[in-house]
Formats: sequence, C-alpha cells, structure tokens
Amino acid sequence: MSEARSFRRSRLSGELPFRILTLGSVLLAAALLFALIFVILEKSFILWPVEAPLTFLTSSGWFGATDPSGVITAAFGALPMIWGTFITSLIGIAVAAPIGIFTAIYLVELAPKRLAAPLTFLVEIVAAIPSVVIGLWALGELSPRLRDSIEWWVASSLGQFIPWLSEDPQQPSDTSVFRSGIVLAIMITPMVAAVSREVIRSVPQSLREGLVGMGATKWETIRLVILPTARVGLLGAVLLAFGRAIGETIAVRLTIGMNISGVPPTLFQPGSSIAAQIAGAFGEASPIEKGALAGLGLSLFLLTFILSLIVRLLMWRSANRMGART
Amino acid sequence: MNQVTSPSVRLDFTLTPNDIRRRRVNQFMIRAIQITAILSVVPLFTILFVILSKGLPQLNLSFLLNGPLEQPRGIINAIQGSLVITLIAIVAAAPIGIGGGIYLNEYASTRVARIGELFIDIMLGIPSILAGLFTYFALVPILGHSGWTGSIALTILMIPVVMRTTQEVLRLVPTGLREASLALGVPQWKTTIFVTCRTALSGIMTGVVLAISRGLGETAPLLLTSQSSNDISINLGQPMNSMTVVIYQSATSSDPQIVATAWTTALVLFVLALILNVLVRFKTVNNRVF
Repeated sequence: MSEARSFRRSRLSGELPFRILTLGSVLLAAALLFALIFVILEKSFILWPVEAPLTFLTSSGWFGATDPSGVITAAFGALPMIWGTFITSLIGIAVAAPIGIFTAIYLVELAPKRLAAPLTFLVEIVAAIPSVVIGLWALGELSPRLRDSIEWWVASSLGQFIPWLSEDPQQPSDTSVFRSGIVLAIMITPMVAAVSREVIRSVPQSLREGLVGMGATKWETIRLVILPTARVGLLGAVLLAFGRAIGETIAVRLTIGMNISGVPPTLFQPGSSIAAQIAGAFGEASPIEKGALAGLGLSLFLLTFILSLIVRLLMWRSANRMGART
Repeated sequence: MNQVTSPSVRLDFTLTPNDIRRRRVNQFMIRAIQITAILSVVPLFTILFVILSKGLPQLNLSFLLNGPLEQPRGIINAIQGSLVITLIAIVAAAPIGIGGGIYLNEYASTRVARIGELFIDIMLGIPSILAGLFTYFALVPILGHSGWTGSIALTILMIPVVMRTTQEVLRLVPTGLREASLALGVPQWKTTIFVTCRTALSGIMTGVVLAISRGLGETAPLLLTSQSSNDISINLGQPMNSMTVVIYQSATSSDPQIVATAWTTALVLFVLALILNVLVRFKTVNNRVF
C-alpha cells in the first residue's frame, strides 16, 4: 500500500511543477499584455485634462509647454497622424491585396511544381528584410524615382482637376504620404501572399476537380470556385496585412516626412503617421508631449486590437466553412 | 455557369464563338497572374542589387572590427550590441514561449486554448513601437536607457512568435505517439518533454529562429530603450548601439560617408536575416517528416 503510494508519488512528482511552470508562462505573457495596455493608458492620463479625448482625435496641432509657474499651455491633435496612418495603409493594401492574392493563386494553382517552392521562398523572404533596411532603400532609391515618375505623371494629368492629387505647392520634397504607401505595399505584399497561399491551398481538391470535370477553364475554376470558397480567408489575409501596415514605424518614418502642421492638402506632400510620430518625436519630448505620444500609442493599440479580433473571428469562420481546424 | 457546355454532347468539336472567348479570357487572365507573380519578386532583387552596389565597396574587415570613433570607422559595437540584446531577449522569450505553447496545446481545455490563441493574436498584432513605448514608460525610469531595457522590449515581441509556432507544431504531433507513451506508464509531463516536444523539436527551433530574426531586425523599440552609444563595451547597464539604430540614424545624414555606413550596415544585417531565414526554410522542409 505505502509502496504503491510512494511509487505513485515519485511517478507524478514532476507533474505538478511542470503544469505550474507551463501555465505560469501563459499567465506571464498575458500579464505582459495587460501591463502594456495599463502603462500606456496610465501615462496618457496627463494629457486628458489638457486635451479631451475627442478633441485630441479630431483636431490638428502639436504644441506643448510648461512655463515656470507650472501652467501648461498645450494643443495636441492626432488628426494628421491618424489620417496619415489610414491613407498610407490604404494605399499599401490597395496595391498589395491584388498582387499578393494573384501571386498566391499563381503559386498554388499555376506554377510548375519545380518552380513553386523556390518562388514561394523568394516572395516570402521580402517579409524577412528588416524594415529599416527597406526604409533606407526607399529613402535613397525608390522615393526619388517615384517622385519623378508616377507622382509627376499623376500630378500633371489628374492633378489638374483633383486638388487632392496635385503637386506639392512648395517644392517637390524627399518625402510624401503617397511614397510611404507604396513602401508599405512592398512590405506587406509577401504577408498577403503567404496567408492567401495557405487559404487557397486548403480549398478542397474535389471542388476544383468538379469544375474542371465540367469543362471549365483554369480561370473559370479560379473565379467560380476557388475565390468564392476562399473569400473569408482572403479577407482575413488582407486585414492582417492592413494591421501590419498600420503599425509599421521605421520605413514610414523615413519616407513620410514629419509634417505635423495639419492634414496635408495633397497626397504628394509630406505627412506623418501615428507610429512614425511616436518614434520621431520621442527623443526630445516634454512630459506633457510624452503624454500626448502615449495617447497616440493608445489609439494605435486600439486600432490593431480591433483588427486582430476581426481577423481571428474571420479565420475561425473560414475554418468552419472549409471543415478544418485552423 | 450556363456557358459551360459539355464537350461530349457536341461531337464535331468545332469551337463556338463563346468557346473562343472563354479561351481568350483564360489565356489573358493566366498571363496577368503570371506577370503579377513576377512583379512581386521584383522589389527583392532591386533591394538586393542596390544594397550590394552601395554597401559592398566599404565592406572590409576593419569595418566589421573597428569602433565608430576609430579610423577607418567600423561598426563592431553595433554588431555586438545587436547580438547581445537579441541573445538576452531570446533567452528570456524562448522558455516562456515554449512553455506557454506546451500548456495551450497539451493541457488547456478547448475553451482556454481558444482564449490563449486570441491573446497570442493580439500580442502578435502589437506594433513594435508600442513595446518600446511600454518599456520606456515602465522600465527606463528604473533601469535607465540600457541594453537591458532593449532586451526586455524585444522579449515582449518575441514571446508570441515562439508561442504560436510551438503551439502549431505540437498540434501536428500524432496523438498516437502520446498515447503509446502514456500507455507505457510514462507520466504526462515526461511524455510531453521526451516524446511530444522531442518529435516537434525542429519545428520549435524554427519558432525560436524566427523570433531571433524578428528581434535582430527591430528598430523602433530599441530607439526608445537602448538608444545608441559609441562605447565598445558590452555593459548592459549602459545605452547600447545596435545595427538597426545605426542604419536609422545614418540614413538621413547629409554626410555621404555616414550614409555609406548605413548601406554597408544594411548589407551586414540583410545577410544575417537571409541566413536565419534560409535556416528556417531548411528546417521546415525537414519538419514535414512527421
């Protein structure tokens, strides 16, 4: 009896510590997430008496000072950065979504077997290039080229009628909102392609065979079966990449310029984005400005948080549709 | 769908105008897809070409081994700093990530596992600048701008990468293996370590290497935490240089020599990232065995 118990005890002696250790890891990670939210929220409190949350989100201007008697004069508005974040990410996703999804279709449906693996590697390796390296390349090479080609063409044709697309009224600068969007497109295309590839690959083979058996061409199979079946998953891929674009800091910081005076009147002018503003203004920020940057960080967190939730729900739905677990 | 006609009904096989149209559309779309696929690898080669042509001329041994204040200028402190900060970060992040992945896949109930997945998603989605912001607010007042704070900021970004990969590869391990081990009387924790994790080891390592690669490439969190320095020492209590911050700070310089430093550092970093990713690829291919 006691022998059996001691055997049991020695056999199970590691069980409890192991469980506690692994559960502890999960809890520690969760605690870090909560701490992150809490600290950024708490640090933004210094801002709210000066600038109410709603005015902060909907106004422009970036100025704050504390005079010797302790009176704070400040006006902080996040509108230019929020606008910049959205518009660059939208340009990015508008370019990256079709290219990424078409590339994924090519890799899964059309590429010869021998070509598919190396090409997949080449497409996805772009995602592994550090964003500061892409930023350096964009600043030194891509940006001047875009300015002298696409931007110039658009500004001198469409720009004549749509003020939003007209040339920078000052002089053509090294940076612009549009160029940041294109840089983001390059950075998130591999992500769209990688996730879309997984989604398209999980479309059941029998569906393809069904349509090919009826005499459909390759494109008809893609358009009538693969894209509709993978629709939810592809939307998830696009939103995931959108979230990545929203949070991208350094490459945007290097190419967007730091124009925080207001929402730039044309796409081809320097602007700013939430993440770029935090990275760029942090060095010499006064305490009250740090509060404003925490406020920016908070809005950035909320944006990516909501996107993560939507993507996860979509992925669960898409997995249910295709009858497999994610 | 009604334009899809079965060939077996028409025995003469003459192409109707509709068939010709369908064939044309098909050819056009396939060509478009092929061109798009080629288009998506163009940036890689352009970046590779530009970095090589601008970075290679300055690349020599003294560039890699000299300090930033020596002549000729070198980046040894940035290389050291990047490696040390990343190493400390992964030493902290790997056990937490692997442990958490094990718990979520081996012990947690379905509901807890789903909540855990959601948490990992949210953590993966956190922009890296926010990890820097958090570490700056929470730890820089205590530890100062230092290598430690840089490592901690990176740890926050690495944990979900390791945890997600671990959880996913453990899911691929056949249940039969676990059952066989449990049936022999091996306790669950030993089964998990010596059977389940052993089988998935190369997959778990892939997650760790991915996290290292992510850490080496991060700029924004280090900008707010470990900042930069000209010291060559590896004192983690001091501000520390890193390759990404060197590139960032040199990129906007008006001195062409400093911009050249940025390109060469970018080349070194790019090669490192490439090596790590080839390693991952290689391992994942081997991984398909189980």
